[in-house]
Amino acid sequence: MSDIFDIAIIGAGPAGMSAALEAAQQGASVAVLDRKATPGGQIYRDVTQSPLLEPSVLGSEYTEGAELVEAFMEADIDRHQNADVWHIGENGEALYSQDNQTRRLVARELIISPGAMERPFPIEGWHLPGVMTAGSAQVMLKSDGMVKDGAIFAGTGPLLYLIVAQYLRLGVTVNAVVDTTPAGGVGRAMQYIGGALRKPAYLIKGLMLLNEIRRAGVPVFRHASNLSVLGETKAVGLQFEQDGRTHSVNADHIFLHQGVIPNLNMTRALGMEHHWAEQQLCWTPTLDDWGQSSIPHIAVVGDAAGIQGAEAARHAGRLAALKAMNKLGKLSEASLQQQSSDHLRAMKSFKAFRSFLDAYYAPTPEHRIPAASNTLVCRCEEQTMGQLRAGFEQGAKNPNALKALTRCGMGPCQGRQCGHTVSELLAVWQNKPVSDIGYYRLRSPQRLLSVDELSQFQNIKPAKKPAEVSA
Amino acid sequence: MNFDAIIIGGGIHGSATAYYLSKAGMKTLVLEKGYVGRHASGVNAGGVRLLGRDFAEVPLSKEAMSRWQTLDDELEGDTGFRRRSLINIAIDDADMSTIKTRITKLTGLGYDHEIQIDQQELRERLPHAAHNCVGGVVSEQDGYAIPYKATSAFRRAAERFGATFHEGEALVNLRQIGDAWQVRTDKASYDTGTVINCSGAWADKTAMMMGDNTPLSYSAPMLMITARMPHFAGPVVGAISRQLSFKQFENGTVLIGGGAKGFADRDNNRTTLDYKKLALAAETTKTFFPIMKTAVINRMWAGLEAYMPDNLPVIGAGVNARNAYHAFGFSAHGFQLGPVVGDVLAQLITTGKTSFDLNPFRIDRFERKVL
Repeated sequence: MSDIFDIAIIGAGPAGMSAALEAAQQGASVAVLDRKATPGGQIYRDVTQSPLLEPSVLGSEYTEGAELVEAFMEADIDRHQNADVWHIGENGEALYSQDNQTRRLVARELIISPGAMERPFPIEGWHLPGVMTAGSAQVMLKSDGMVKDGAIFAGTGPLLYLIVAQYLRLGVTVNAVVDTTPAGGVGRAMQYIGGALRKPAYLIKGLMLLNEIRRAGVPVFRHASNLSVLGETKAVGLQFEQDGRTHSVNADHIFLHQGVIPNLNMTRALGMEHHWAEQQLCWTPTLDDWGQSSIPHIAVVGDAAGIQGAEAARHAGRLAALKAMNKLGKLSEASLQQQSSDHLRAMKSFKAFRSFLDAYYAPTPEHRIPAASNTLVCRCEEQTMGQLRAGFEQGAKNPNALKALTRCGMGPCQGRQCGHTVSELLAVWQNKPVSDIGYYRLRSPQRLLSVDELSQFQNIKPAKKPAEVSA
Repeated sequence: MNFDAIIIGGGIHGSATAYYLSKAGMKTLVLEKGYVGRHASGVNAGGVRLLGRDFAEVPLSKEAMSRWQTLDDELEGDTGFRRRSLINIAIDDADMSTIKTRITKLTGLGYDHEIQIDQQELRERLPHAAHNCVGGVVSEQDGYAIPYKATSAFRRAAERFGATFHEGEALVNLRQIGDAWQVRTDKASYDTGTVINCSGAWADKTAMMMGDNTPLSYSAPMLMITARMPHFAGPVVGAISRQLSFKQFENGTVLIGGGAKGFADRDNNRTTLDYKKLALAAETTKTFFPIMKTAVINRMWAGLEAYMPDNLPVIGAGVNARNAYHAFGFSAHGFQLGPVVGDVLAQLITTGKTSFDLNPFRIDRFERKVL
């Protein structure tokens, strides 16, 4: 086998693994590049080798992932783990680092699933040591079995409750849950209740998590607003308002979370068409029902295509693989339609359910668009809202001009932490829709790349054969 | 609407020309199809270099260099200029004699800004240079500025003198009526006495509307920048006979250039990168400065830039129409000339003359040549 494949898939989460399985079942030559040591993505991180004695505390959705990972491991797929992709070309080329060397493979069709990231939570003090995202709390738990006692969990969204419940099941104390879901969530979401009722199991699961937290005796502050982290050099507590009163709770560790958004860096670096998704308040690649992007031969699946969750991601992965087979001439149009119909129907039902969730857990403007001039927006280059405002007043009206003037978005995270905030700030300042403002122009590399590795580019290596790939 | 002068293109030369013209009392409009500093002027390497200039450019470049030293005060802004000196490294005797020959010629022309240094002095100035470097040549006044900031500073200073900037407005047509011009864009139509072509990589199209042909080409010079690292280089660094070019900023990041070109898609305002050439630049950098082995690249990019066949810009009056002027084709070394070219054009427009010899930069200098 050469380093040229029918289909290459970037990312081995639920979407990527499902796409690979479908493509392999359909008879394509398939390669999967995944940056982590084991497949599973964020949601099924280390599911087959959990450091926890009882991985079931992480919930059934997590343990169910093991079956998918096992099927993936058994299928006829060229799996490349620890393969950290730093460039994807419109021509179907993927450049990735493995063992400190750049390797290359080429595919006729590319399916990319760069996943989601947690929405930035730009409030005063969010940059202080001791403040982390709830997602990073979960990564520590899933990968290293590490927890922080006496923490505050603040924000909104199902993942926040899930990680609190996971902590409590392990007997870890939680100081408080500060819930920023605004009042009237049910009313807001009611128009989408039809969608929610099509997924009763999910709805019940969410309610059960909340009940579990309350029963455990954790103080839950509902409808909290105006959050700010207390502390000078490190976090010592969280201040917030509830029912017009100011509260403060002490803690050394504060986990913030207000939902997830697509990880844009790969799709933006490709120059793909994106749009501002008002329902999810985030930039999203513009795709058809099969995940096909504005760039020929490149599809996007999973949460990077718009937040739908792990189960929807499985269907999206299958759909993209079917479409890729069709484009490769290995699946007739009729078979494509016939084999897609169940998945398309499933996606529709997940989308309806997501409308309900998005409306219910909508992150509030005050926690997305900072109003205090000393709140950091760009953490890498330490640019505050006030400094960005000054740049705006000097004539930088779009994210790229603002970046060139103030350095916001120029640091190692490449705008992941500030990109959405900057788009929304510029929209508010100009009283324009975010869709008119745009986003940073991004480029490869997708992450820091050593000068030493880059300098050896002339001697670039083809993809390792699977047998060579160390376990 | 009526203007005394309309400038096509909001790069550094368009913005600077607007500054000097409006300062001279002319009602000036800049038309920019994207936004000010969008292409080469906003994303170049920021080199403020007098060292190694073509002899024809030395007078302009010398004048520009002395202006850079106090430009922030002049513009009441922040261009990010830092005087750091620039050293071109020699790696063998051939390089050293190249330097010597050039300095002899410069001395003959009355210039003393380039100074040859030996190996010991090179090591004192750049302790991390590889051992095989034998010396070099230095220009003390050289340094760097932050391109977008500098372009913006000119723009804001121009606006203080009453200049108008229209961003997101593209030129469609120019028509000379008598001695004046009618300028039509995708948004509006204007009358003006004078038009000035500062259109960078698109300047051949503007020139054509002014009746002047020009053999401009365009390309996408590439740059990359590292994450922050400990300070190891004060001066800006180049080399006599290698594609080496880098500078370390105050925040510790290192900008690596070297002239490698990516792919330019002018019609779509896009560039793409050629990693093989960037790899070569990385290789060259770490060969000259072994400390760079530990560096990590954070970003890579390219900008659209105009080149002339002789790598010299076009500066001066148009030849086939009245009240038409050009400043373009700076071939990847125009940023440093920002503070002088606009002033020269303003002098030409307001007084009809300049103290600089612009013959080497005439737009019709290629007319009789077979290229």
